[in-house]
Amino acid sequence: MVTRRDVGRIGLAATLAGTFTRPAWAASAAETAVKEAQKYKGQTITIVWEAGLQALDPLNFSGPKWKELTGIDVKVVEVSTAEMFTKIMQDYKSGAGAYDALNVIPAWMPDLAGAGALEVLDPYVEKYGYADELQKIAPIYRDNQMKVNGKIYGFPDDGDVFIMYYRKDLFADADVQKAFKAKTGTDLAVPKTWAEFGVTGAALTEVLKDKGIYGAAFFRQPPYTMFMFEERFRNEGGKFFDADSMKASINSDVGVKVFTDMREENKFMPPGVEQFGFVENLAAFLQGQTAMTISWPPYGRWAAGYGTDQEVLSWVPKSTIAGKVGYALPPGGHPELAAGFALSVSSTSKNKDAAYLFIQWLNSEDTSLERVKLPYALRDPFRTSHYTDPGYIALWPDAKEYLGVLQQASETGLLDLSLLQTDKYEEALRQAISKLWAGDDPKAILDATAGEWDAITDKIGVDKQKAVYSDWASKSGAYPKM
Amino acid sequence: MSLTLTAAKNPDRNFKYWIAFPAVFLLLLVGLFPLIYSLIVSFMRIDMMDTDTSFAGLYNYANLFKDKRLWESLLHTLLITAIALPVELSLGLAMAYLFLERMPGRQIFISLLILPTIISPIVAGATWRLLFDNRFGPINQILGWFAGHPVTALWTVSASLAYPAIIFCEIWQWTPFMFLILLAALSNVDKSQTEAAEIDGAGFIRTFRRIVLPAIWPVMAIAILIRGLDLVRIFDIIWALTSGGPGTMTETISIYAYTQGFKQFETSYTAAMAFLVILILTVVVTWAIRRMGLAK
Repeated sequence: MVTRRDVGRIGLAATLAGTFTRPAWAASAAETAVKEAQKYKGQTITIVWEAGLQALDPLNFSGPKWKELTGIDVKVVEVSTAEMFTKIMQDYKSGAGAYDALNVIPAWMPDLAGAGALEVLDPYVEKYGYADELQKIAPIYRDNQMKVNGKIYGFPDDGDVFIMYYRKDLFADADVQKAFKAKTGTDLAVPKTWAEFGVTGAALTEVLKDKGIYGAAFFRQPPYTMFMFEERFRNEGGKFFDADSMKASINSDVGVKVFTDMREENKFMPPGVEQFGFVENLAAFLQGQTAMTISWPPYGRWAAGYGTDQEVLSWVPKSTIAGKVGYALPPGGHPELAAGFALSVSSTSKNKDAAYLFIQWLNSEDTSLERVKLPYALRDPFRTSHYTDPGYIALWPDAKEYLGVLQQASETGLLDLSLLQTDKYEEALRQAISKLWAGDDPKAILDATAGEWDAITDKIGVDKQKAVYSDWASKSGAYPKM
Repeated sequence: MSLTLTAAKNPDRNFKYWIAFPAVFLLLLVGLFPLIYSLIVSFMRIDMMDTDTSFAGLYNYANLFKDKRLWESLLHTLLITAIALPVELSLGLAMAYLFLERMPGRQIFISLLILPTIISPIVAGATWRLLFDNRFGPINQILGWFAGHPVTALWTVSASLAYPAIIFCEIWQWTPFMFLILLAALSNVDKSQTEAAEIDGAGFIRTFRRIVLPAIWPVMAIAILIRGLDLVRIFDIIWALTSGGPGTMTETISIYAYTQGFKQFETSYTAAMAFLVILILTVVVTWAIRRMGLAK
């Protein structure tokens, strides 16, 4: 059993190793951060972190290590994702200054930056020489999840992206291939379009159902499906708004088709898939009950059995499919960079420099590489160097393929919709999805949702929102290049 | 000596006020101040995101009347109340009658029956969500035994099943409350009167209407009022089971207020909404108290 102390020692040793292999004249961003932060020895910084597994990173690894290196204590405030935005805004509005550093979902940045809750980081980046290492963050995250109106408000720190996982043993099985061809007249292959996915999933269910295996399953609870809809809608050619009028266009033919297809696909998925969340879908896949699924990167690690011997991951079902999982981009080829986290400094912090130096150190090449490899944490590779790290590649036999697909995803991924008061738009979309599962008419649902979106836009101010949308839509990851 | 007597005869007239002052001040501070402050906020434009928090007049109140979702949520609240309250009352009364007579293990049964009321509603909701779970929940499994084939009812997702699931949980948790109150009330009914009515040939219904109901009415009315108000602010069970879904189909006024106030940060609008609800409840409760004769 790996203890907290062991993890700390391993991390410290690895960082020191990294430090000593670098030329003496070139101080890394991590080294600079440590050296500068030693001036603040004895102080305490408070950081907001997502509750649960995510928070084990600062609690077990980075927090104790930072204390050891700099003498600065790190107090971790664990908050559920659903409450994070509220807590950050409440702290800012009340002026309490209870938080120094923050984990921020990039889609929230326009709201938080606009309200003044986040510190502009450009002067700190310059002051502490972080610009070069910052450029080595994978372009999709660096160019899309860092700035608002040209100013840096956060460091992308989590390579969240949807990946397709499939059972390569089943796809390579001659009997399955034969039965599939007999049913569809085509060769069995990992679907590259959503039309292919519909055919492949349905046929695989028919072929494999006697063995208790379904063609596919997805998480279908509205908060997750919202991301999947955003991805699929754009892969099929949909646009969220008319760029000129700012009228919502999710009720376009594309939107209705995506909604209709999504509900239709539930028919070849396990009964009750509409209730599947992250864990239910994971359990079905790891127990070998589904041939394909789409999810965040941890699924791939856990399916391979990496880290699941950790006590904190005892809730993850034992993988029965280790070594049998293939990785691919989801149909359409442009996966959603669903959620993710960026590290920011609170504008009301009383220890801004110390807080900044901590996030620079966390986000640096050296430290981040250790963090994305922590077996129990949920930070996913997000730097170019992470995808080719020999240490990561050696973690399990198929890790190279896994990292290869993550790297592809980092080149073609799509951003979450990010506007002023994004959550209001998302809330309407989540409700639309729950109505879809309840059996309402897709067109009627989306018409109503588009009406709600328009009402939200009107309330915020069409011109104001249009400017934010234009800024978002101009980013490389907003819409796929067709 | 004379001085002492004078003091005893003419104590400081204001002393009693000084004694009461800390308690009254505290009550005003935690009760009245937030109320008044909320009222002020309801006339402003505070929405956590906007920097313009100026006086908005009746803007928020005017918007209430245009907000379809608000009125729907009120309707959902009334629907749940209109079904759950009579069922809880009827079942509670029937159970109270059943346990009125001495029987072996009566105390143990009563203790077991009231257990649901001591569980936190959010825990009860979360537990029932697991029980209703399509894959692992025992309810579908039990239904499957009777049906002879696997049942995959989506209790918390399907439009036709969400309300039955919510109302069932609500009744399960709060019928024992009615039972307990009514058992206490029934125990105090003068038995000589019911026995005399029986001897005179009055049937059960007549005896209940003419003798038992008038005797237990003050207690029953209070129980109805308490549960009615509880149902109007129902939140936890629904939040745990459906979160107001599918769509906003099971969204009650409390859930809507929470969503607007703490997820969408429409602070002023939510304050206006709260005052609308207070107004409606005040009218309804005043009417109910008069109608039930509780004011006498």
